[in-house]
Amino acid sequence: MTRKSSLDGIESAPRWIVVFLGAYLIVHLLALYLWNMVGQAFPVQGTSGGTSALSVTAMAAVELWLCVLVLRSFPAGAPLRRAWMLITFAAAAQAVSGGLAQLLGSNWLLNPLMWGGHARTGLIEQIRRGALIAGGPVQLALLAAGMLAALRVLRKFGFWVRPSAADWAVCGIIYVLTLFRFGEAGAASLAGRPIGVEDWISLAGLPVLCVLFLEAMLLRQSVVHMGNGLISRCWVAFMCGIFLMGAGELALWVIPHYWHAWPLDMIASLIRFPTAAVFALAPACQVAAQRRAIKPASDGSEDLATGVPALAR
Amino acid sequence: MHPRIATLIAFCDAEAGASRSRRIASHLAKCEKCRNRLGRIERERDELSARAAAPASDVRPGLAAVLAAITAWQEGRNGAAASELRARLRWQMGTYFGSPAALAVEGPGIPAEEMFGKASEMLEVFLGPEAAEALRDDVFRGLDWAEPAGEICR
Repeated sequence: MTRKSSLDGIESAPRWIVVFLGAYLIVHLLALYLWNMVGQAFPVQGTSGGTSALSVTAMAAVELWLCVLVLRSFPAGAPLRRAWMLITFAAAAQAVSGGLAQLLGSNWLLNPLMWGGHARTGLIEQIRRGALIAGGPVQLALLAAGMLAALRVLRKFGFWVRPSAADWAVCGIIYVLTLFRFGEAGAASLAGRPIGVEDWISLAGLPVLCVLFLEAMLLRQSVVHMGNGLISRCWVAFMCGIFLMGAGELALWVIPHYWHAWPLDMIASLIRFPTAAVFALAPACQVAAQRRAIKPASDGSEDLATGVPALAR
Repeated sequence: MHPRIATLIAFCDAEAGASRSRRIASHLAKCEKCRNRLGRIERERDELSARAAAPASDVRPGLAAVLAAITAWQEGRNGAAASELRARLRWQMGTYFGSPAALAVEGPGIPAEEMFGKASEMLEVFLGPEAAEALRDDVFRGLDWAEPAGEICR
């Protein structure tokens, strides 16, 4: 056997992502706990204006890199190549959006548009809006198209079941949220209250999120029929990512209505980073499965020549 | 005077000529000893003829018996190998997809070769050709698998 993986460490990418996610959540929850303990005496920092935090952008970059690795393993004409290409574009949209928003769309000292004595605020604002569109409706649309392509392949292999009543009920929550959001926007518009560009961009992404949610439910049913294997975990991660995305939208809409004192930016970052991490987990699981297959059997504790792993015998 | 053996053989083969044959026939009618000798010659001739014809009809069943024995031996060997191949494919499908997918691919009464084809296609679609190729190599590693006897003979 001469097969040897040149990126041995990449097999443990899912584990690293989970470790980072755990550490991030512990630190954030601890900060929230301390903030609450001291009677909310100090301001809690968070990103503003709906732009992605640096941690979210970094995780999106990791996702993009892993997606490119997966995409390269599927040659032209492979059934899943189209799906992975669209998922890679979605990851790229998220990473580029975060990068642009952080580097050129913020009023900070290292932004080149702020140099030279006068800040080009108009251009900075345009870049920020562009980043929001790329990381919002564009990313969602690309992801929805990618999921649709993946579902078609799953259907071809018999992993296709119609959504159950519970699936429709979960989807219904997002559909109701979408209706409420559009209703609110319509009411505000009729009352003559201005609606921010960020809100419009967010609203534009909601119908796509509804489609994505339905796809996530179909994906869930397909994965249930597939089982809990290494490949299945990749699609489970996508399903969880979409679910978290929807849950985040719901939470960020509900919290300002009922809990005014809660630090919304902090909560937003608490939702967005796990979502980005779970999305990064999907290609990481796929890469891990591929590397495990390519790795010579003699390297591991499992002896494929005897048919079953040593521990299972 | 009794005719010689060679003369009787020629008479038996209808090669003695007409007048000579008549003389031998009249002698045979009177001599029981010569009739017995002629009878023995005819029996031996018939046996020789039968033996000469035998190889054409006997070799075929013999060869068929040898091929059947080889096939049976290979089937016995392949039966064990097929069982091992099934176990390996089941494990691969379970590891990469999950138990329900493994059960769906195995199905009742599906030959090992068909199961291998299905599993191979699924792994190639979901893992890519390089990983699927590696898994195909793994599944056959150290497996005592032979082609059917008919395929070898072709």
